[in-house]
Amino acid sequence: MEILQNLFAGFSIAFVAVNLFYCFTGVLIGTLIGVLPGIGPVATMSLLLPVTYKMDPIQAIIVLAGIYYGAMYGGSTTSILVNIPGEAASVVTCLEGYKMAQKGRAGPALGIAAFGSLIGGCFSLIGLMLLAPTLASFALRIGPPEFFSFLCTGLTVVIYLTSGSIIRALMMAALGIILGCIGQDPESGSFRFVFGFHHLLSGIDLVPFIMGLFGISEVFLNIEKRLQKRTIYEGDIKDLLPNLQDWKGSIKPILRGSILGFLVGILPGGGPVISSFASYAMEKKVSKHPEKFGSGAIEGVAGPETANNAATGGSFIPLFTLGIPSNVVMALLLGALVIHGVTPGPLLMQQNPKIFWSVVASMFIGNGMLLVLNLPLIWIWVQVLKVPYRILFPLILLFCLVGAYSVNNSNFDVALMLLFGVLGYLMRKFKYDAAPMVLAFVLGPMFENSLRQSLLLSDGSFGIFFTRPVAAVGMVAAILMLLSSVIPFIRKKRRRILEEEAVDGGIGKIN
Amino acid sequence: MTQWMPSIFWISIGTYVAIQAYLLGLGSFHQPGPGFIFFLAALILTFLSVIDLIATFIARSEEKEERIWFGVQWERVLLVLGVLSAYVFFWNVLGFPISTFLLMIFLFKGIEPTRWWIALVAGFITTLTAYYIFKVWLAIPFPRGFLGV
Repeated sequence: MEILQNLFAGFSIAFVAVNLFYCFTGVLIGTLIGVLPGIGPVATMSLLLPVTYKMDPIQAIIVLAGIYYGAMYGGSTTSILVNIPGEAASVVTCLEGYKMAQKGRAGPALGIAAFGSLIGGCFSLIGLMLLAPTLASFALRIGPPEFFSFLCTGLTVVIYLTSGSIIRALMMAALGIILGCIGQDPESGSFRFVFGFHHLLSGIDLVPFIMGLFGISEVFLNIEKRLQKRTIYEGDIKDLLPNLQDWKGSIKPILRGSILGFLVGILPGGGPVISSFASYAMEKKVSKHPEKFGSGAIEGVAGPETANNAATGGSFIPLFTLGIPSNVVMALLLGALVIHGVTPGPLLMQQNPKIFWSVVASMFIGNGMLLVLNLPLIWIWVQVLKVPYRILFPLILLFCLVGAYSVNNSNFDVALMLLFGVLGYLMRKFKYDAAPMVLAFVLGPMFENSLRQSLLLSDGSFGIFFTRPVAAVGMVAAILMLLSSVIPFIRKKRRRILEEEAVDGGIGKIN
Repeated sequence: MTQWMPSIFWISIGTYVAIQAYLLGLGSFHQPGPGFIFFLAALILTFLSVIDLIATFIARSEEKEERIWFGVQWERVLLVLGVLSAYVFFWNVLGFPISTFLLMIFLFKGIEPTRWWIALVAGFITTLTAYYIFKVWLAIPFPRGFLGV
């Protein structure tokens, strides 16, 4: 009952005209960048983060969250019509969606993707509403050692699930912690690695860091070779409303995708990308006709598209209840909340219940808006797809430059962004994953504080992480995960899964 | 650049950070100092970089090295990087509208073959829109330049 009251209170805020406007803006931008290959939600959210400085925290999170889940909707359009994933979570949709389009069934593929996304999105929001308050009250009872062990577990899962070498992912996590802790020491007040730049006294800003690593490096990677023209599906897009047969084939994958996506989303390191792959694999396994997969099976569109949207709601749970981001997008949202003076974590629901409930309510509204944006207005996105990358990349670069400058109105941040752009480009070339580095960068200060506080509590003994039950579970899980990656059998299995993902992910080329 | 060079780079970075962190003060386990976390992270970075270096050499003897620079026109990347750096350097002098217009023309025309008039029109529209959104609407205090706009 209390949940419903809170939700209604949230809706009363979300339905205020200005909040509706920001919700619409968020999902519109999200769909746009989801449709456009070559720019993803992380880069866009970091581009727009400075723009949100003037908004109040609720509006800022409504816009940024809208971009995140809006991108999941938009990504499927490009996958189905162009055979290029608009963003990473829509990679598997290419496999069946494009095949459906080639058979003249682009309409039902787009339709079931949109309806599945809506159902998955709403399911995960209900899960978020039910689980978050309980988890938050549990989280209030944990201390620094438990918090430190959760941070270790979260980071380890991201490292474990990295698409490349685990050693390199660990290296990047260590580098992320180093970069994240630069600036004034909170305890002694001494300056650490600031090299005489007063701009670095409060640390490296999140915006130039992420814009460089994701926005600039993405552009460099795309322009390093001559741009190729993309081929777009030219047929008519009709029958957007799936027929009874389509629904019969899709309803179970949608339900399974909702549950799977939500659960994967909650896990540290989980998120839309993993959930969509997991859902595709599951659908293929449980299907009575697995041979149909690869030639346009609607289950292969419905399941993954539902799962990637369900994961977005799930991934808010660790952020709102523990203050720990489960993936890079959540790390960015954590940064945004902190910039707005809001500390995510167990106290958020007590101190700022309005933020939590109005964001949840706006996400329900946003999902409804997205259905309208992605079905009756699909023709707009087909036109957007025709914008060539040679027109798009100068705009991305300009946004990056202005965005980095606007954080502190300083050229230093722009130079820093370009530096991280080069670093990000070289990291991609040499197969160093940026995700563990970004997550460690955001978690770095929390990591340091909780480690120091734990050692103070234990009088210098690391045993505190293993003698307190909750902390011990987290630490043992993290250690086991790292150890398992060096056991030959598991290492081979992990490599095989990642290779399969890489092959599946190699569809089309971003241009 | 060959595959082992990044490992050497990370070993150098890790060693440098570890030394500087030591100089900052490690403190003790009872009371960790300001360099403690840096030292710990730098040790991990250096140690793993050494393992990565060894792994790269083993892999190189086992299989053919991947040609990551094959077909890459890296002069395009360097050119864009140079122009972006120049843009930031010169916008104090030229001001936001002029430097942005010049940058946009270069990016629209200089990287991929585009007709001059398209580059000019696109550059003009982009600059005007960016000026109104960022300078007028969001009131970002960009450098005014010699024209004072």
